[in-house]
Amino acid sequence: MVDNPNGPLLAVQSVSKSFGGVQALSDITFDVDPGMVMGLIGPNGAGKTTLFNVVTGAYPADTGDIIFEGIRVPGRKIHQVVGLGVARTFQNVELFESMTVLENVMVGRHIRTRSGFWGAMTRLPGVLREEKEIRDRSLDLLSFVGLQDEAHRQSGDLPFGWQRLLEIARALASDPKLLLLDEPAAGLNAVETGQLGELLERIRDLGVTLMLVEHDMSLTMKVSDRIVVLDQGRMLAQGTPREVQSDEAVMAAYLGGGHASN
Amino acid sequence: MRRLPPIGHIIFILAVLLTGFLIENTYYFQLLVFVGIHTLLALGLNMLMGYAGQISLGHAAFYGIGAYTTAILTATYGFSPWAALPCAVLLASAVAYVVGLPTLKLSGYYLGMGTLGFGMIGFIVFREWSSLTGGSSGFVGIPPLEIGPVSFYSGRSYFFLVWTVVLGIIILCRRLIDSRTGRALRSIHDSEKASRAIGVDTMALKLRVFVFSAAVAALAGFLYAHFVTFISPGTFDFLASVRMVTMVVIGGMASVWGALLGAFLLTLLPEWLHAFSEFEMVVYGLILMGVMIVLPRGLFRGLLDVFEGAREQTAKRSGGVNGR
Repeated sequence: MVDNPNGPLLAVQSVSKSFGGVQALSDITFDVDPGMVMGLIGPNGAGKTTLFNVVTGAYPADTGDIIFEGIRVPGRKIHQVVGLGVARTFQNVELFESMTVLENVMVGRHIRTRSGFWGAMTRLPGVLREEKEIRDRSLDLLSFVGLQDEAHRQSGDLPFGWQRLLEIARALASDPKLLLLDEPAAGLNAVETGQLGELLERIRDLGVTLMLVEHDMSLTMKVSDRIVVLDQGRMLAQGTPREVQSDEAVMAAYLGGGHASN
Repeated sequence: MRRLPPIGHIIFILAVLLTGFLIENTYYFQLLVFVGIHTLLALGLNMLMGYAGQISLGHAAFYGIGAYTTAILTATYGFSPWAALPCAVLLASAVAYVVGLPTLKLSGYYLGMGTLGFGMIGFIVFREWSSLTGGSSGFVGIPPLEIGPVSFYSGRSYFFLVWTVVLGIIILCRRLIDSRTGRALRSIHDSEKASRAIGVDTMALKLRVFVFSAAVAALAGFLYAHFVTFISPGTFDFLASVRMVTMVVIGGMASVWGALLGAFLLTLLPEWLHAFSEFEMVVYGLILMGVMIVLPRGLFRGLLDVFEGAREQTAKRSGGVNGR
């Protein structure tokens, strides 16, 4: 499956993106190796979420390239990128609130399943088998994140912390190789954040590569293998958590800069 | 929704059978046939509006395409209606595909305007292409439906035909909603952004459901044309599109039974209000406003809420007594 088994899972190459006059990303280059946890930090407005949107194909980059498993991402539609194995969650939890917890995860299976309009209307055995498969896999994922007892609740009624877990389960349902988490700990209390850290470890054990934007420094430093630091669209530093923490440019612009955000 | 599937269908079938055999009055049958045809229109549009969250203010054009296609093929060219039916449905689907491809890229008000424009064009074509459609004086001589020896000439037989079709479409819609495709559709309604991000090709799916709703509207147009045997462009004008949207909204979006209730209310209300003579439209408007204010989620959900609220109250009261 992998074109170059020893190469990176994701290669971000000289990516720039501007909105009107604002340079949201300028000349960003880094690799994400399979199996690692990549932390992405930087003050608000540093371009972290923009980078996520470019990697998932939601925004086209102005210049530069995104290579996932040897395949170019630019020019592909979002659902095709999901098909390649890139999934994400959102900063402000985007659940399907009129649907049940289980159904939310079941939609997550969409890209890995086939039956369409005719299948739905005829309900042939093959379609029913697929439906059962979707349901079983989704229930497994709910157990994985610890929401098995909430399967039939309306997703909008869940407490916020659980909504975050549900969003992660839904993203995992698409069998991603790379999972992008946009501030997964935002709005969680200390206990929940601890549990999240544990969950991230277990996701990594499944063989899923993680990339996370996070303001919670202790969590990011704890779970990340490598960290990329962005500031005003530029890449300030990258390296192991220890290297980044002792980097002078980072200290000056970010950690030392009055702790602008959390 | 999930708690009523078989019961809902059984009640539905019983109600249709009872009404069909108890009623003798031709006028009532005629009304109920119209309710059935309108239910079909609302069911199709509801898939688009209630589940996929996209509006169409031009659906009367698909209704008209269904009616005019079968009229022209059967009366002018001597086709059997049963051969004309697939032609009508296919033509409406093809038109929906071509119209939907650029239009569904729009959203919100813009989609409303785009489909409105399409509806206007449809109406103008029905009215002006008089060599084919009979123009504004209408199209006469559409043959009634027959299956072998069974002729659907009487009000009662047509009533059963239409409501059997309605039941079929209700079952199809419900199956669709509770499927992979249906879940993806509902996800578009809730958050298109998230829907795309988990791998739903939202554009393709919106287009498909638009085509489906157009096909159902054409089926309704077919049944309409062969029932009244005379059609004119006025039936398929802008107001007809608005009435379809109103049925879906009043009945309750994202509910199959809501579409049924909406079609009932909007078809029968004008008949009940004849007594108000010149104030008829005023009362009609006031009732619709009242429903939306009191039951903003539509008749079906609203009544369910009222019912469940009452049941919870009783449960709480008896629970309280036991507690003491």
